[in-house]
Amino acid sequence: MLFQFEGVTKTYGAVTALDNLSVKVPVGAVGLLGPNGSGKTTLIRTLLGLIPVDRGSGEVLGMDFRRRQLDIRRVVGFAPEDECLFPHMVGVEFAAYAGELVGMPAKDALQRAHEVLDYVGLGEARYRKVESYSTGMKQRLKLASAIVHDPKLLILDEPTNGMDPAGRQEVLELAKDLAHNKGMSLLFSSHLLPDVEAVCNYVVVLGSGKLLAEGLIQELKRVHDQCFEVRLKDDMAPFARRLTAMGCSTEVQDDVLRVRIPAGHSPQMLWQAASDENEQIRYLRPQRSTLEEVFLTAVEHA
Amino acid sequence: MPIFDQGYQHWSGTLSGHAWRWLAIARRGVRVGLTNRLLRVVMLVAWMPAIALAFVLCLWGLIEQKSELVAPLAQMLPFLVPDLLADPRAFRVEIWTLCFSYFMWIELYFSMVVILLVGPNLISQDLRYNALPLYFSRPLRRIDYFLGKLGVIAAFLAMVIVVPSLTAYVLGLLFSLDLSIVRDTFGLLMASIAYGLVITLSAGLLVLALSSLSRNSRYIALFWLAIWFVSSVVAATLDSANQQQQRHQAWQASHQRPGPNFGGVDYVQAEIDAAKTNWRPLVSYTGNLSRVGQEMLGTDASWEKLSQLAPPSQRAQFLFVYMGPQYPWYWSAAVLIGLFGLSACILKWSIKSLDRLK
Repeated sequence: MLFQFEGVTKTYGAVTALDNLSVKVPVGAVGLLGPNGSGKTTLIRTLLGLIPVDRGSGEVLGMDFRRRQLDIRRVVGFAPEDECLFPHMVGVEFAAYAGELVGMPAKDALQRAHEVLDYVGLGEARYRKVESYSTGMKQRLKLASAIVHDPKLLILDEPTNGMDPAGRQEVLELAKDLAHNKGMSLLFSSHLLPDVEAVCNYVVVLGSGKLLAEGLIQELKRVHDQCFEVRLKDDMAPFARRLTAMGCSTEVQDDVLRVRIPAGHSPQMLWQAASDENEQIRYLRPQRSTLEEVFLTAVEHA
Repeated sequence: MPIFDQGYQHWSGTLSGHAWRWLAIARRGVRVGLTNRLLRVVMLVAWMPAIALAFVLCLWGLIEQKSELVAPLAQMLPFLVPDLLADPRAFRVEIWTLCFSYFMWIELYFSMVVILLVGPNLISQDLRYNALPLYFSRPLRRIDYFLGKLGVIAAFLAMVIVVPSLTAYVLGLLFSLDLSIVRDTFGLLMASIAYGLVITLSAGLLVLALSSLSRNSRYIALFWLAIWFVSSVVAATLDSANQQQQRHQAWQASHQRPGPNFGGVDYVQAEIDAAKTNWRPLVSYTGNLSRVGQEMLGTDASWEKLSQLAPPSQRAQFLFVYMGPQYPWYWSAAVLIGLFGLSACILKWSIKSLDRLK
C-alpha cells in the first residue's frame, strides 16, 4: 500500500477537515481530487506527519504516520503548492541544500542536484539566483528539489498552477515519466481533472473531509451499456421523437444525441429508428463517463 | 527531444541520521552570511582587540621574565607600580583576568554588531520567501531548525570571541615561557569560552525570536538596535539621574551637619553602598551580559587584589572607579534567563503556527 487511513479525523476548531476517513491507496500514480476545502491539503499534511490527528490511525509506505514522521519524510519528496524558496541561492545550491536537509552527504547532494536540474530542464539556469526564476521555473525547481534524494513517494500539490501551456505539459510529462517509467509512486493533488487524467491511473476523490470515490480511473470511467452517443447526417428532432415513441429517453447535447435504451433492448433499435426515419447515422458509440462526470457525480452525491 | 529524455538516475547512497541535520542549515547560513562584505570587514576589525590582547599578554610574559626588552616600556606605564614589578608572578592571574575582561567587554560590542548583520535575516527571510514548508516537509524537527539557525550565530560569534581569545591565550602562553601559566590561567580560558557561550545563547536566541516576528529584516535590525543601544542609553540616563539625586541628597546632608570632612559624610562610601543595590543598569541588555561576564571571569576579585597595591585610604575609591556595577550578578542572570525564556516562547509560538502547509 502507498498509504492507508483508518477512521482518521482531524478538526480545526469547529471545522472538520478529515471526517472519519478510511482509505487504502495502492502504489502507483494517484490523483487526489476534491473541491476547495475538501481536505486534500490536510490529508497531505497528515501523510507528512506535520499535524497530529484527533482520532484514527494509518500508515504511509508501511510506516505509522503518528510515530515515524521523520522516517516517512526521508522517503517522501514533496513539492508544495505555494511559491516557496530557500532565499539567496542559485538553482544548484537550492536543490543540493534540499538534499542535504534530507541527510544526503554534501558532495552527493551537489552532484545529484546537477543531475535532477538537467532532468527537469533547468540545466541552463542552474547558476541563476532562484529569486529571478519565472513561475514555471520555480515549479520545476521545486520538483527537482523534491526528487533530489530519490524518494519512493513524490507528492505534488497543484504542480501546474500558474504555468503556461507548454510549461504545464512539460511538468505533466515529467510527473508521468517518474511515475510510470522510474518506479516512483506519485500523489498528484490538483483541481485540473485533465492533468490528473494525463498522469494518474488511480484517483481518490474527497469532499468535506470524506472519501467520495476512489479507484482506477479506467474503471471509474465505465462504459454505460444502455447509453449511446449518436450523430446524424440531418436533423436530430424526428429521430429523437421516434426513439422516444419506442421507449428510449433522449437528450440533445450540442451536435450529439444521447440515447438511453430500455433495459432488455439492443442497440439494434437505433438502426431501426434511423431506417424508419430515413436518416443516416454518422457516429455511434457507447457512452463512457469522463473523469469530470465521475468527480461531479461524487461531489453531488456527497 | 523532450528534456526528460536525458534520463533520471536512481540514487543509492545512504542518508545520515537526524542528529547532525541542523549542521546543514548552519553551514548554509554561514556561507550566505560570508557573502556580506560589511560582515567580513567587521569580523576583521574584531580581531584588532585580540591582537592587542595578545600583545599585552606577551608583554606581561616578558615582564614576568624581567626581560630587559620591556624595562624602558615599564617606566612609561604608570600603573606598573614597583610593588607589582617586584613580584609580577603573584599578580599573573589578576593581570590575565583583567586583560581578558577588557577584551571580552570590547568583543561583546563587536558581537552585537555581528548579530545585527547576521541575525535579522535568519528566520525573517525564510518567512518572506515562505521557506518553512520546504524545511518542515523534510525530516527536520523544529529543534533542528532552531539549532541550525543558532549555529550560524554561534559560528560567527566563535570567530569573534572564542577563536581570537584562544589565539591570544596561546600567544601569551608562548611568550611567558612558563608552563605553570597553563595551571594558573586555564580556568580563565574556560570561563572566556563559557562566557562566549552565554552571549551566543542569550543574544542568539533573542535575535532569532525577533527574526521570527516579521518578514522584513530591517524592522528586526531596528528592533535589535533598540534592545542593544537604546536600552543602554536608558540605563545610563537612569543611572546618571540617580547619581545626581544621591549627590544632591548627600550635599544637603553635609549642609545640615556642618563640620570638617563634609560633616562626616563619606561620599565614596555612600556611592559604593548605593551601587550594591542599584538596579538601573539592569535595563541595559549589554550591561546585563557584561555583569554576568564580570562574575564568570572573576574580574571583581582581581580588582580587589590589585587594590592592595593602592594606599589603604584610596582603596575604596580605587575599587569604585574600576570595578564597575556592584549589584548582585544574579540579578542580571535572572534578567537574561527571563529574556531567554521569553525568546524560546516566541519561537515556539511563531514557528509552530507556521510549520503547516498553506
